[in-house]
Amino acid sequence: MAIKRLFIANRGEIALRIVRAAQALNIETVLAVSDPDRDSAAARLADRKIVIGPASAAKSYLAPRLIVHAAKESGCDGLHPGYGFLSERAILPTLCQAHGIAFVGPEPDVIDALGDKLRARAMAGAAGVPLVPGSDCVASAADARREGDRIGYPVLLKASAGGGGRGMVIANNADEAEAGFHRASAEAVAAFGDGTLFMERFVPEARHVEVQLMGDGKGNVLHFGERDCSVQRRYQKLVEEAPCAAMPDHLRKQLHESAVALAASVNYRNAGTCEFLFDVKRQEFYFIEVNARIQVEHPVSEMISGFDLVQEQIRVAGGADLSVTQDQVKLSGHAIECRINAEDVTRDFLPSPGRITRWQPPEGDGIRLDSHMAQGAMIPPFYDSMVGKLIVHGSDRADAIKRLSAALDEFVVEGVPTTIDLHREIVAHPDFIENRIHTRWLEQVLLPERAKRAA
Amino acid sequence: MTEPVFSSALQTLMEEFSRSGVRELHVRSGDFEVYLSSDPAGSRSIAAAPAAAALRPAPAPVPVPVQARTSPTEVSQSAPPAASALPDDAIIVRAPNLGTFYRAPKPGAANYVEVGSTVSVGDEVCLIEVMKLFTAVRADASGKIYAVLATDGAMVEAGQPLFALVRN
Repeated sequence: MAIKRLFIANRGEIALRIVRAAQALNIETVLAVSDPDRDSAAARLADRKIVIGPASAAKSYLAPRLIVHAAKESGCDGLHPGYGFLSERAILPTLCQAHGIAFVGPEPDVIDALGDKLRARAMAGAAGVPLVPGSDCVASAADARREGDRIGYPVLLKASAGGGGRGMVIANNADEAEAGFHRASAEAVAAFGDGTLFMERFVPEARHVEVQLMGDGKGNVLHFGERDCSVQRRYQKLVEEAPCAAMPDHLRKQLHESAVALAASVNYRNAGTCEFLFDVKRQEFYFIEVNARIQVEHPVSEMISGFDLVQEQIRVAGGADLSVTQDQVKLSGHAIECRINAEDVTRDFLPSPGRITRWQPPEGDGIRLDSHMAQGAMIPPFYDSMVGKLIVHGSDRADAIKRLSAALDEFVVEGVPTTIDLHREIVAHPDFIENRIHTRWLEQVLLPERAKRAA
Repeated sequence: MTEPVFSSALQTLMEEFSRSGVRELHVRSGDFEVYLSSDPAGSRSIAAAPAAAALRPAPAPVPVPVQARTSPTEVSQSAPPAASALPDDAIIVRAPNLGTFYRAPKPGAANYVEVGSTVSVGDEVCLIEVMKLFTAVRADASGKIYAVLATDGAMVEAGQPLFALVRN
């Protein structure tokens, strides 16, 4: 049954994006808002808004019962969770199912399975997706040497009970592997009371690549190409682009096939992303995880495919078949997205909410801005500090960079500090222009250079 | 208001209950009693509801229409008196969270309060139901009920006015 009235359990730019997508499909919209969000752009555009709770997300956007209660009482037959908040918590689709509401997302058991790292890894392995070469338990220094030789250096010795970097040692050769075993095992005993270790290949300069997927829940899965999201700080993506220009075509094909095979193996329904680590030196990629939701950076895939992923996930949730075949998905040109946050880069990216006193976004061919902001709008201090996503599309990567650089120069935001300046520096950096970046490039190269200049 | 720990234990219980496929669950321990039912036409109810969080079978859902896109203003919640008609010194009792507003402890019972009733600080004035979890709303001032500002059985939003009180 096609969805007729959609409940949107999110805020910010993605809530606005979903309201617009639903309206394009002639679906009525009911938006959940917390008290400080009652005048948001999405709230003004939605057919109805319902104040579900106070500012605290725990009592509003993170309260599944309030959300499903409001959806049911407002007569909604579909619910879109957006990203973040409850989007990957099985309780939400479970409650929706119990009340006859179509959830725009996977089945609860698929969410649970993909959310569990070990189960997801096992599923990926079973679907033939490459995993980071690694070992089972390593019991002695001699074992560590043997396994290190087999896996190939550098390797990471990790406590199997571990987390947070404790009990983790990098070894660049067999001697270091032996010495590292003693050190990591002792650390692991001290930290976790369990000295059991395992080993994994360490990729010092990796790229983060991910495949955009769309499944119908009946075993059919499409891909919309890959994205390269290697500009990161503390595992948070700042810049995303599509395609991954550093990846040769034969690998790209394998990457897409792997992602599709994994999603098809669980009859995946919804938009989703399969994330990989790309070892450029070895020309290999390894599975990281699946994100079972629409992602922040979905617009770059939309720009190169001309396909609306949010509309499609709503249609599919209503039981529709996929509206295109893989042959009909044509990817062209190059797209880059900058996530613009209200953060003070000079103060260690301190989130800086407040009122926007001037808002002058760039305009022009190939420019898209996904934002809920405007002059006079307030960024409340209770949630994330994203003010918008600037996306450009060009004929190739160089053209996209040229357009992005012009668009960033035009973009004026006053009232709160933003990361626009930092994005200008990233886009102008020779390493970025020549595509010599990796997931630690921002933290190891650009930010230290910037700090040195400021000193 | 319900203690958070108590409330989260109840939530866990309800999650397990909805997953189990069991249709009814009735637990009694000391003066605490819980009744869960997945039967929308559930007819049983607990005779003496515990003060803080009473559970009862869900009444039929009250459909609230969505307005046509051509008039994007908020749906007016109910007929009750406009705020402008209230005396200047009126004290408003508001919904602590979104939920369904019930004026009586169970179907067929007398309302907690009527217009003209006298209430003291801490008196229960209504219930708010979220997914079959009932929370009592208590008066945070003493006075006389001047007006009922929400409709019995309808959904109320967080912060929505429920009652107007005037001081005695």
